[in-house]
Amino acid sequence: MTGPATLNAGAEMSERDALAVLVAVEGVGPIALARMLGRLGSARQILEVAQRGAAAIPALIAASAPEAGDGRSMPGAVAAALVSAADAAPAILADIRDSGLTVIALGEPGYPPRLAAIATPPHVLFVHGNAAALLGTRSLAIVGTRRPTIGGRMTASRIAAALSRAGATIVSGLAVGIDGAAHAAVVAEGGSTVAVIAGGHRHLFPSGHRALADAIVAGGGAVVSEHPPGSQPNRGTFPRRNRIISGLADAVIVVEAGARSGALTTAAWALEQGRGCYLVPGAIDAPMSAGCLAFLRECAGEARIVAGVPQLLEDLGIAVPEPRRQPSARPSTTPPPSAHPEPPSADALLNGLPPATRRTADAVLAGFATADELVAVTDLPIAAVLSALTVLEIRGLVAGTYGRYHPAGSLMRAGPAKVPDRLR
Amino acid sequence: MLATILSATLFGLDGRVIRVEVDVAPGLPGMTIVGLADAAMREARERVRGAIRNSGFVYPPRRISVNLAPADLPKGGASVDLALAIGILLGSEQFQPRLERTALIGELSMGGEVRPVPGTLPMVLALARRGVRRVLVASAAAPEAALLPGIDVEPVDTLGGAVDALRRRRRAAARRPPRVELGEAGSEGAVARRPTVVAIDVALPTPDLAEVRGQLAARRALEIALAGGHGLLLYGPPGTGKTLLARTVPGLLPELDERASLAATVVASVAASTPLCALVRQPPFRAPHHTSSYAAMVGGGPRLSPGEVTRADHGVLFLDELAEFSRDVLEALREPLEEGRVEIARVGRAAVFPARFQLVAAMNPCPCGMAGANDGRCVCRHSVPERYLARISGPLRDRIDLWVPMTRVSAAEFLAPREPESSAVVARRIGDARRRQTTRPPGRLNARVGGRAMRTAARLEPRAAARLAELADSEGLSGRGTDRLLRVARTIADLAVAETVEEAFLDEAATFRAPAAKPLDALTAAGHAG
Repeated sequence: MTGPATLNAGAEMSERDALAVLVAVEGVGPIALARMLGRLGSARQILEVAQRGAAAIPALIAASAPEAGDGRSMPGAVAAALVSAADAAPAILADIRDSGLTVIALGEPGYPPRLAAIATPPHVLFVHGNAAALLGTRSLAIVGTRRPTIGGRMTASRIAAALSRAGATIVSGLAVGIDGAAHAAVVAEGGSTVAVIAGGHRHLFPSGHRALADAIVAGGGAVVSEHPPGSQPNRGTFPRRNRIISGLADAVIVVEAGARSGALTTAAWALEQGRGCYLVPGAIDAPMSAGCLAFLRECAGEARIVAGVPQLLEDLGIAVPEPRRQPSARPSTTPPPSAHPEPPSADALLNGLPPATRRTADAVLAGFATADELVAVTDLPIAAVLSALTVLEIRGLVAGTYGRYHPAGSLMRAGPAKVPDRLR
Repeated sequence: MLATILSATLFGLDGRVIRVEVDVAPGLPGMTIVGLADAAMREARERVRGAIRNSGFVYPPRRISVNLAPADLPKGGASVDLALAIGILLGSEQFQPRLERTALIGELSMGGEVRPVPGTLPMVLALARRGVRRVLVASAAAPEAALLPGIDVEPVDTLGGAVDALRRRRRAAARRPPRVELGEAGSEGAVARRPTVVAIDVALPTPDLAEVRGQLAARRALEIALAGGHGLLLYGPPGTGKTLLARTVPGLLPELDERASLAATVVASVAASTPLCALVRQPPFRAPHHTSSYAAMVGGGPRLSPGEVTRADHGVLFLDELAEFSRDVLEALREPLEEGRVEIARVGRAAVFPARFQLVAAMNPCPCGMAGANDGRCVCRHSVPERYLARISGPLRDRIDLWVPMTRVSAAEFLAPREPESSAVVARRIGDARRRQTTRPPGRLNARVGGRAMRTAARLEPRAAARLAELADSEGLSGRGTDRLLRVARTIADLAVAETVEEAFLDEAATFRAPAAKPLDALTAAGHAG
């Protein structure tokens, strides 16, 4: 039996702390926790029961039993872990405090209402950065494959930049590929973005995205997890995490997804949670569009097609910022929805370049990627094309990998330019 | 009676003159050989006895002592067989020869035939330096020996024939083989008499550049690399034509000059399995398989044979599937790449082989080969492709001036009516650019000009100097990286027949820089932040 001092410690604990201790127990999922909370009243009371030691195990298992025979009760080992966690509660809480993360419990005013509305909301959120980013008036998720094509990466960047400029918060999963491109585009736009990660904050995955995560936080965004900082991500936590991505958003936009991509589970969650679900279609034989096309076919009527960036904004009911061409025509009737100025157009970015460089840039914008294609379409000698590509790369307008060149930076986010006739 | 005969053996790439001293004396019949002979040479005992008996001579039933001088030089191979047999015949006074300034090189069969040995050319070269005027070699090796002027080569087929030749008062001048003089590379005589049989190895046929469709950037890079002697790496998915492109190299290089030609011929003589009949004028092109062992690459073995790096001396070493070579083998390239030679140490002796080759390599962009195909077919985990390229370690990385990604050629490009340039056209430009480099100080190909010398030799335009600084800053180039960029730009200027290095040349050179070892997303994020 544990002494009365420990009992007092449990009693003094806030409900939020008690929940944090409970979610730190491996194997206690949101569903089981919800059942226990329903039967025992509060997290503090669950901990008080658990502090009775081994004798409390049957009571805890009974408290987690399903109502109508679907699902299972908590295994004995998890109940035992809960009992020992109740003893170690001060240490667990100290560890969370040391991490410097903001802890928000379900039901607290800071908890995002969108997320609270889903079937199994996380009971606790651990937030690194600006927790208010979770409460944005408009929030949209952009997800997709970890192995995008260059075109997919560009599409993700452009959609993210456009939505961010329109004042939306962009939610994604910090994965490599589409997720990373979306986050990076928002960071570059100076907008607000939220990354939902699948493990604890100390086990950021992929570790190569540490700098991107820091940039997100520095830009006023947030990195969020339902797991305490020391928790390792595993196979199971990634799909579970996807319900939070869709839950934090008004709509989910899938840019590219292979046939078995995890991004499709996010799309499925969106439909289940009654959120918008938009997929970028693609050529029927493109491997990285196969998942999007299959999903669109399966959920015809519910899932929608992204037919273009302006069309997407229209479908989402977002006012397109007025073009800057006639600022005097309608002086300040509609203030721009975001603080960011309209970015320079592709034309403006490419003005003043030497002719050969300009011609090469136009061809890259028109989607010609390899040196062979660029020579064929610009009619320039190969040496001139190569020189031009270096000039464009130095200026950050074009990037090349493995011999394919594509618009980069501000040129990528500026979207497609008018293709000169000679390039058609 | 004591007989002394001159012969030669091979030490690495050098011929060494050997004095074969044979003493035939009364005593218990038998033969002993002293003087650090290896197993093949000690076995000469049996070959020589058989050859003597089967040529109608008498193998003396007496005590035969053989000393191979100099005594402290390790000797190998069968090149002294013929000299040994003749020594025994002389020692037992079976004939009276004329041996002034004469040497014998050849292996004997049990039946008494004289066979050629590898490395005839360097051995004859060493004998000529020691004042030998006449050398007897196997008929098959005679054309090779005759490549040297100033020494009479007498071809012999059998031991009996050798005895006859040595008995004659006057040399039989009639049976001289056709020979090739060491002349000006371009001179009429040399061209007219250049025999068609130059092949050292049975190599794959050299494709013509006209067969390579598209791949304009890679073709351009290859031209620049060969024009300036720069290291070149082609990387791209399988089926993009990396190997085909690299195999066109022999058809693009100019002929070797006189000195280089002789050096290449010596290497070929030592390494070849059959004797040569002409000077090697084509720069060697070696393409060792990626399973090649350390010794095969660097040289060595019990007989100190030259390795691939030496066989590619004055030519091109092509390493296909670079990443598949063992780490040891690639590490071993460090010394030859940095110093143009390789030293193989043995207990008490060391051989130095030349290894001034130009490196051309090809590899897949990632373990699965599909990175950069841009259709999601690459199944490598995130950041694996970047690390695959980064595995190319320091010394190799420093010697690769041009990094060239290759992508699949579209069907449209493949069927385009435009006819690609042929090897002959490109070879002419390469030859001209090389001449421009070797005729100005410091008289070397750009790739071999040191950093400081290059900074003065490059002759940067003022605007180009500013651009070089800009490129160095934006790409985070090291001092070496900047030097590399400058060298390549200088070669581009040479191809363009330009006196000075212009901005555009630097820009073009910069497209062939090493890819950053950072993961793609980090790069994208950096690009956005800028």
